Amino acid sequence: MNQYDKLLNDLAPKKFGKLGVIWTCFLVAITIAGIIAYIDQIIKGQVVTNMRDYALWGVYISSFVFFVATSFVSSVGVAILRLTDNKWRTPIVRIAEIISLASICMAGLTIVIDMARPDRILNTMIYARLQSPITWDVIIIPTSIAVTFLLLFFPLLPDFAILKNKYKKENKPFLSKIYAKLALNYTGTPKQEKIVKKSIKIVALMIIPIGLILQTVDAWLFSTTYRIGWDSTNLAPYFIAGAFVAGLGALILAVAVIRKAYKLEEYITEFHFDKLGKFLALACLTYLYFNVNEYMIPAYTSTIDEATHLNALFTGHYAPLFWFVTVGGLIVPIIIMMFKKGRKPGPMLFVGLLVVVTSWWKRYLIVTPTLLHPFLPIQGVPESWHHYFPSMHEWIISAATLAMALLIITILVRYLPIIAIAKTAEERGIKITDKNDTDEN
Amino acid sequence: MKTRFNFIFIAILSVLLVSPAFQSMHAQDKKAKKVKKAKVRLKASYLKIMDGAVLLDFSASAKIKRKNVKVKNIELTVYNTTDDAKIVLGKVRTNSNGKATFTVKGGIKSLVADTTGTFNISATFKGNDHFKKAKKSIRFKNATILAKLVTKDSINYISATFKVGDSVVAGQDLIVQLDRLFKPLTIGDEFHQTDANGTILVPIEAGLPGIDGILQLEVVLADHDDYGNIKAIVNATIGKVIVDESTFNDRTMWSPRNKTPIFLLIFPNLLILGIWSLIIYLFINLFKISKN
Repeated sequence: MNQYDKLLNDLAPKKFGKLGVIWTCFLVAITIAGIIAYIDQIIKGQVVTNMRDYALWGVYISSFVFFVATSFVSSVGVAILRLTDNKWRTPIVRIAEIISLASICMAGLTIVIDMARPDRILNTMIYARLQSPITWDVIIIPTSIAVTFLLLFFPLLPDFAILKNKYKKENKPFLSKIYAKLALNYTGTPKQEKIVKKSIKIVALMIIPIGLILQTVDAWLFSTTYRIGWDSTNLAPYFIAGAFVAGLGALILAVAVIRKAYKLEEYITEFHFDKLGKFLALACLTYLYFNVNEYMIPAYTSTIDEATHLNALFTGHYAPLFWFVTVGGLIVPIIIMMFKKGRKPGPMLFVGLLVVVTSWWKRYLIVTPTLLHPFLPIQGVPESWHHYFPSMHEWIISAATLAMALLIITILVRYLPIIAIAKTAEERGIKITDKNDTDEN
Repeated sequence: MKTRFNFIFIAILSVLLVSPAFQSMHAQDKKAKKVKKAKVRLKASYLKIMDGAVLLDFSASAKIKRKNVKVKNIELTVYNTTDDAKIVLGKVRTNSNGKATFTVKGGIKSLVADTTGTFNISATFKGNDHFKKAKKSIRFKNATILAKLVTKDSINYISATFKVGDSVVAGQDLIVQLDRLFKPLTIGDEFHQTDANGTILVPIEAGLPGIDGILQLEVVLADHDDYGNIKAIVNATIGKVIVDESTFNDRTMWSPRNKTPIFLLIFPNLLILGIWSLIIYLFINLFKISKN
């Protein structure tokens, strides 16, 4: 087996093993449960949730913010590394692009779920006010989906062409035909190559401001609302820093799992984890800085309303969760990643998991406690409405959105080359022996 | 044995007969309790607006289960009684706060006084299923406050003279106030006593704001035993004009979509157009690749 064949064999999509099939079935089962719960929610209305006059946003919006944050990984993890020509990015960029696409698609879907009646999405367009951050959100999410898709798709073209030839050689006409369709007749002609390179450059440039706008609009959805904890000029950079952490956490987790499952240790090395670890440490430090700003100044000025809100977080009902996300999601990862041993694949898998879990709960803490402490208490509502904990419907539907995101990632990982074949071959000086095979990532 | 059965039979029959009778008595007692009517307490006050209407304010309350409650939606008939006649002025109904205002549109001139020059007004409630009938009377004499705006040495004053018939009344406490939306604003001291000429002269602070610069100044005689409440109103264009700061018609971030700020129509739309032009261009590139 020559070098190219080995490379192709290592990086071409592989069938799932037993564990992969179980994992996929598990995700499908959760997704089906979520669809059933959602249909029930549509039939009975949002009374099946525990959202009421106080907590008018709940776990759905928490999930939405989490997905939006996670989608930021393609801006920081891919585009910046690509534009700064960091060579070590090659084995991880496609995973980052896949995570971004799955996350942003699910962010859009989660908003529709939160609207109770899905047809209400039309109202956001029919009655759109350009002054409203909701309208900006309705515009930026489809834009992000389109750009994220293009960022994933353009670099895939040479790989699709390679796979088309591979499966043709292996006498697998169906797969060859599918990849030929996906390759869009790409054969690596100089003109095609030029168009691909140019397009990748444009889309990599576009994704950075779009990612920043997306996070900013998401933050403005909150900060333009006059509420304790949200009414802050700091919120947009705070959200960007948080998205930086959530996105990189998800990337590290996915990279660690895929590396192990696909046995890609030769391509995704400890060096990559070391780099990602440093990158995440920087992100966590930045986010910690914004957290200090976000909580210390209100605690210092401490108006009655601020004090009520902060007490609920620091020492009150939400204290265990708050300290878990702050210590577990920021301080512990920083400490672990300070040491070289902490940036090895094993500890990094743990850090990635910890960061992803705490990132979700962080969004829950941003959304819920604030809603329970409005400036003007709502009159004549039952005592139980002053508290919020998601109902079973909310948990099942939210778990299903997460499962759907993971399912999209799983399916794409199954059928796409998760490490760019053409680019890796080029970087390793391996000649692509198949005619028509080409370059660029 | 037979005697014993007879006894049991009589006992059961007695229970069956006595029980409905007892229940019936108890029900009657409950019914009697139900129809026990509450006593309505009526309060009345009189306000004469100079050169305007006479307002008769009534309030109705009752003590139910040891609590004072406002009696709403009861009809009061208002009478003007003289020495030998009882003239019906009209009817008025209490609102949800148990209050009702009857306006004598013709003013004091349309009311008839008795031989002592006293006006007798009474309001009666004829009772209903829940409340007993009730009556309240008030008596008052006519008096006048003549108020006007005076300017001396560029200072504005409100001058008011209190008269009963043609005689001025000295030593009477009057209130000078400025009409405001929620509560009148007192001008100067709480009370201003009329001098030997029955007059008060109160300076008006400069710079008080009013719609179109108009200040509605009021001179009030409050809760007088004989004359009730009298109010003289002077509309003076001496206030500071209130500039309407409403942004209702402006293009703002909080206005409806037909009043979107121009910059927000231009820049975000340019941004959207620019980004989507690039996205379309990139899709065209995909098309070009496929056709190459």
